[in-house]
Amino acid sequence: MGTIDIMRDIVENPQRIIEDWKSDGKKVVGHRCLYVPEEIIHAAGMLPYPTFGTPEPITKADSYFQPCVCEFIRNLFDLGLDRKFDFLDSLILCNTCDGVRHLKSMWSTYIDSVPCYIINNPQKMYDESGFKFYRHELEMFKGMMEDLSGNKITDESLRKSIELFDETRRLLKELYMLRKRDVPPISGSEALIVSMASMLMPKEKANPLLRQLIDEVKTREIENADGPRILITGSIIDNPALIQLVEDMGGVVVVDDLCSSMKYFWYETKPNPDPMDAIVKFNLERAVCACMHPSQQRFDYLKELAREFKVDGIIYFLIKYCHTFTYESPTYQEKLEEETPTLTLEVDHSLSGLGQLRTRVQAFIEML
Amino acid sequence: MTIEATTPGKETFTPGRFGLKASEEIFMATFAYYAGLKAAKEEGRPVIWAYGVTPREIFHAVDAPVFYLEHVPFLLGFQQIGSHYMQIAEEHGFSKDVCTSHRCFIGCGLGSEQEREPILEGMFVEPDLIIAGNYPCMSESKAFLCIADRYDCPYYFIDTPINTWGKDPPDYAIEYFEGQLKGALDFMGEHGFNLDWDKLKETVRLSKQILLLFKEIDELRKAIPAPMSSMDGLVTALLLIQVLPPSTVITLYEKVLKEVKERVEKKEGALEEEKLRLMFFGVPPTFNMGVLDSVEKYGAVFAKSLLECAQGGMFDPSGIESFMDPEKPLESIAYRTLVDLINPTSEAMVNYMVGAVKDFNIDGVVAVVKRSCGLIPPYLRQIKDAVYKETGVPTTIFDLDGLDTRDYDDVTTRINLESFIETLLASKRR
Repeated sequence: MGTIDIMRDIVENPQRIIEDWKSDGKKVVGHRCLYVPEEIIHAAGMLPYPTFGTPEPITKADSYFQPCVCEFIRNLFDLGLDRKFDFLDSLILCNTCDGVRHLKSMWSTYIDSVPCYIINNPQKMYDESGFKFYRHELEMFKGMMEDLSGNKITDESLRKSIELFDETRRLLKELYMLRKRDVPPISGSEALIVSMASMLMPKEKANPLLRQLIDEVKTREIENADGPRILITGSIIDNPALIQLVEDMGGVVVVDDLCSSMKYFWYETKPNPDPMDAIVKFNLERAVCACMHPSQQRFDYLKELAREFKVDGIIYFLIKYCHTFTYESPTYQEKLEEETPTLTLEVDHSLSGLGQLRTRVQAFIEML
Repeated sequence: MTIEATTPGKETFTPGRFGLKASEEIFMATFAYYAGLKAAKEEGRPVIWAYGVTPREIFHAVDAPVFYLEHVPFLLGFQQIGSHYMQIAEEHGFSKDVCTSHRCFIGCGLGSEQEREPILEGMFVEPDLIIAGNYPCMSESKAFLCIADRYDCPYYFIDTPINTWGKDPPDYAIEYFEGQLKGALDFMGEHGFNLDWDKLKETVRLSKQILLLFKEIDELRKAIPAPMSSMDGLVTALLLIQVLPPSTVITLYEKVLKEVKERVEKKEGALEEEKLRLMFFGVPPTFNMGVLDSVEKYGAVFAKSLLECAQGGMFDPSGIESFMDPEKPLESIAYRTLVDLINPTSEAMVNYMVGAVKDFNIDGVVAVVKRSCGLIPPYLRQIKDAVYKETGVPTTIFDLDGLDTRDYDDVTTRINLESFIETLLASKRR
């Protein structure tokens, strides 16, 4: 079994990671979204576990949330109601959209098997008062993680966790940089699998696997790499089927700027004598989410990615009712199109209506 | 007075009915305020576009003319022309998932002069500065980006933390939001709007007076029969989100108070014989407020609506005395904003709804879902369950976008309302 297959197996069967981790009596803390500092959870001796959804249709959650609430949020709530997250010792959310804000209230009201907490992260970057505010919030969160784990988080343990997670980020970035080649060594759908597996796994295990993978693919070339090079952006796509669809239509996905991939690892923590300050700045100096202000950094970052990876076309996937990304999309489309043809597509998280999408993607790729 | 649909060819619905003379004055003063912005612009004064619940005190303190954007969809809604502007926004690439209120003002901003109908043209002014925010909903925060681009405007963003602390936000949260307000004041200062600190204090003092008047009016609305119609309630609340001079607002509220007091003393209500008291939660059909009056044939009245509060003062009024301190103006505004009921998360709102249902003797709650809203639909079930559990009062929930006539179905709306009322009446008879 190749390394990519091992990682695919992890994404398809994440419960094995959980069982393995829990067999030592250690705790697992679920989280969503990217502004939950995993390093603090890890420094307390617990496994940070990113909660992904499933492609199955929503059942129970639809009687709690109106259908106009983001499908991803409803999907997570559905899994919670079905007690599929009962292995979590806590669920940590952060302030990234209205859906997540209300998920906190709804979860705390209707799902008592997993306690839920929300970190109040600011949405303004590079703001000194925001750093101070967020530091307070993170100190509270740190105390909570210490109480939950029974372990004291020291500066030293936090530094080690930061270094470990940065190593994962560096390795994933190194792998992704290989996709700049004229013929990339891994496909877009494989890249998403690798990212998601690395996010799910304990980093102590993910990092050696990533090193192994980088060695393995250095001389590899994907087949059918003659098509237009595509950058995919958007919020959360946690199923490779959508990327696979683009590739099936002849696109070569060379960049995927998603919450489940590049947004997670593209930036590293900057050195700082105070590890808590390092985390504060890491989160408030990177524009990975549409909730953050100002937006210019994310525009520039996407444009730069398109240039660096010699992209021919951009596809902006919008999860239905994902408001923050939806609001930005017309402005983004206009700006990105100054240099690169861009297609915006609304998609259901459950991936229903793939047939119709296929037609639109095909037309776009044929046009490039 | 009735409001007539003014656009030929547009489908007309039943306008709401004013019960109070003061409401008419408020309505006129509101339009006059926006018309006045044009004069300010012509005098060469820069105009600020701001999100709907930006604390108005900061604008009074720098004497700035402000176009409160979320107010506009309501005013255009009353005239049944808001959808035209939503369509312009859609033609510029905005999805129908984007809030109709935001789509409406985006369309106003992006549309050409020729696309503006006379009513909008009468009050439309191009922005010179923009103040955006992420409160009460996060969608708000990016709704201004395209406008800033279109008019090449300096842009300031006010970040409002969500309320995870209940009625006691910690000092660091208040300090943070104070800092955001100071930042906005500095930003305006850089563009010629100088802060008058004494005026800020005075404005906070007057704000406190306004809020106390609002609270007193609200208290009177607990009376049976209900002294105010749905339209009165909505229009009265509009004052809280615009920047009419505070002294004007006080005068208008004093008039409302006087009229409502007289009605309560005379036991005069919107209805002669009140059989059911309803509460409305969500955005009402601005273009067809009459549908809310139509429940009167059953002896039902909307005795309370949460929209009044959603329009900019959605806090639990019980604490006004202690938290609005003119000597600490920014701190007072920060506190008020952080504990505002509409500031997520939803616990405070749920508690308030339960209390209001009890205090206003409500028999049934009508909650509507505006599908493009990210703020309210997520917690309607929570409200329904809490209200029923604590008071035994039922809540009906149905789709109704109160700003977009294109998605409005009058027959279904009436059926939804009437079947709920009939059930409530049947239950009362048992």
